[in-house]
Amino acid sequence: MRAYEVMVILDPDLEERTVAPSLDTYLNVVRKDGGSVEKVDVWGRRRLAYEINKNSEGIYAVVELQAEPATVKELDRQLSLNESVLRTKVIRPDVR
Amino acid sequence: MAKPVLRKPKKKVCQFCKEKVSYVDYKDTTLLRKFISDRGKIRARRVTGNCVQHQRDVATAVKNAREVALLPYTSTAR
Repeated sequence: MRAYEVMVILDPDLEERTVAPSLDTYLNVVRKDGGSVEKVDVWGRRRLAYEINKNSEGIYAVVELQAEPATVKELDRQLSLNESVLRTKVIRPDVR
Repeated sequence: MAKPVLRKPKKKVCQFCKEKVSYVDYKDTTLLRKFISDRGKIRARRVTGNCVQHQRDVATAVKNAREVALLPYTSTAR
C-alpha cells in the first residue's frame, strides 16, 4: 500500500458541482481494491499556464489516496479514457 | 593600471534549509514562481542561493508544475 496524490484537470465546460460526484465514481475502483481515499479537493476553475486541447482554463482536482500500484495505474487509465479529462498526474509525495 | 575589483560575494543561505523544509510542493506556485525567471526558466543555483539538494527539489517541483499547467514552459514576455 502506498500513498499517492492524483491531480486531474477537467474540461472547463463541465458544471463545477457535478465534478465531485463524477470523480467519486472513478474512485470506486480504489475502494473496491482495498485502497482508501483520504481527501478529494476540487480547486475549481483555474487558468492554465498554456493551452491544453485548445482550452485556456481547466477545473483542477487533487485526490489523495492509499492504494496498490496496480490500482492507481488502472485509475489513471480509466481517467485518461474520459474525454472530459484534459490531464492527469500521479505523484508519490513521500518519496525520499 | 586598472585594479581588479575584489568582490567578496555574500554567502547566501539556502532558504529551505533555514526553514527545514523536507518536501517542496509542486502545487505551491507562489513559492515556485520565485525560482523561475520571467521567461519561465528555472533560476540557477548561484542566483537562488539554494543548496544542491533543495535546488534539485525545486527543479523537480517546477517541472511537475509545468506538466499540470500550473507554471508555463515558456512565457513570451518580451
